[in-house]
Amino acid sequence: MKTISLNVNGKVYDLQVRDSELLIETLRERLGFKGTKYSCLEGECGACTVLVDGKNMLSCLMLTLDAQDRKITTIEGLAPSQGELHPIQQAFIDEGAVQCGFCTPGMILAAKSLLDKTPEPGPEEIARALDGNLCRCTGYVRIISAVESAARKLK
Amino acid sequence: MPILKDFKYHAPDSLKEALQLLQKSPKPMLLAGGTFALNTLKKTAASPEDVITLRKIAELKGIRREKGAVAIGAMTSLDEVVSSPLVQEGAPVLAEACSKVATTPIRYMATIGGNIASRFYWVDLPAVLMALDARLEWIAAGGSRKQGELADFLKDHKTKGILTRVFVPPQGSLSVYFRHTQTMDVDVPVLALVFSAGLQAQTLKDVRVCVNTTMAFPQRLRKLEALWQGRKPGLLNAEEARLAMRQDLSTVKLDEYRLSLLDADLDSVIEKIGKAA
Repeated sequence: MKTISLNVNGKVYDLQVRDSELLIETLRERLGFKGTKYSCLEGECGACTVLVDGKNMLSCLMLTLDAQDRKITTIEGLAPSQGELHPIQQAFIDEGAVQCGFCTPGMILAAKSLLDKTPEPGPEEIARALDGNLCRCTGYVRIISAVESAARKLK
Repeated sequence: MPILKDFKYHAPDSLKEALQLLQKSPKPMLLAGGTFALNTLKKTAASPEDVITLRKIAELKGIRREKGAVAIGAMTSLDEVVSSPLVQEGAPVLAEACSKVATTPIRYMATIGGNIASRFYWVDLPAVLMALDARLEWIAAGGSRKQGELADFLKDHKTKGILTRVFVPPQGSLSVYFRHTQTMDVDVPVLALVFSAGLQAQTLKDVRVCVNTTMAFPQRLRKLEALWQGRKPGLLNAEEARLAMRQDLSTVKLDEYRLSLLDADLDSVIEKIGKAA
């Protein structure tokens, strides 16, 4: 076990973690951020996506100890304040881009990473940026529309 | 239940410290981006006693120009390779290939050194780096700095040490990368072809063609290279090229599907470089 400080959603947590602990385990089991989903655990599906220093990365492929000194953002840390949604979250609701919702946190965080870098992406750029996130019920058309809509709102 | 078996984690700040840890541990594992290595740990019964992450070693990061070559630190992420102006200018085909590896989050995490050191010869980068005549630098377990051919490193599973840099020599102005996947773009290719050459007095020079059949180690097409060397790009004969390619690949058992893809790729290379020149 090692003692570390982990910056998650702007708050620093002092934790004791196993050397072999994956970031997804720490986020869910120790800190209770359940929006980060267990799914394939192989880096294929993107359900465990978090932002690491603003980039969408996979918490099932990162040791917690490797996440020290980096800023982690989970879906719980995206909204600007309690009771208010981030424009990307709102766009996903408005465009009907959420069905079962399992992939949604990963999709939204991947979209945030894209829009921070490319504020006005075209549909192909959006599809490419979300290529690490699989959806098995909503389909991708509404998700891409939601990201386009969020981009317009964030202008 | 924990996903990974227990091991001891080390995060050295220097290559010297990393080498000491590597030598001291009875069952060490070096960790770069983690996208191959951590997945492997989830699927195998064997487990390392010590995991040595290389992410804090400054010497292993960054891309710079060195004696005309582009020198890429082993811990440079694939996304950083894609966005590097030095790579885009000096080896655009490498930037293109890196942009096609796996998915966006994987490219943010995976490193060029980890990709090579995993020795998965069937993925995108080995064939591309072989076509570019890339050389590798590594620190051997004893501490001496070594350089060598990429192909030799990939075939040698016994070398212990730490891969430090990838050197890509100056490239000609013409390059093409074609890859084919079974279902989606994000998949590992089932076949890929890399072409690189320069132009001198309107004829091809330093022609390099490498094929990744994924069924065998990537192979340079020496007969095809010799055939095209010194030729005018607009006057290449597709039939001659196919014949040379088949001779080059005579020892590789290729199915009709892959052969037909290669034929089509050669046609496209001829068309593309004819236009570009």
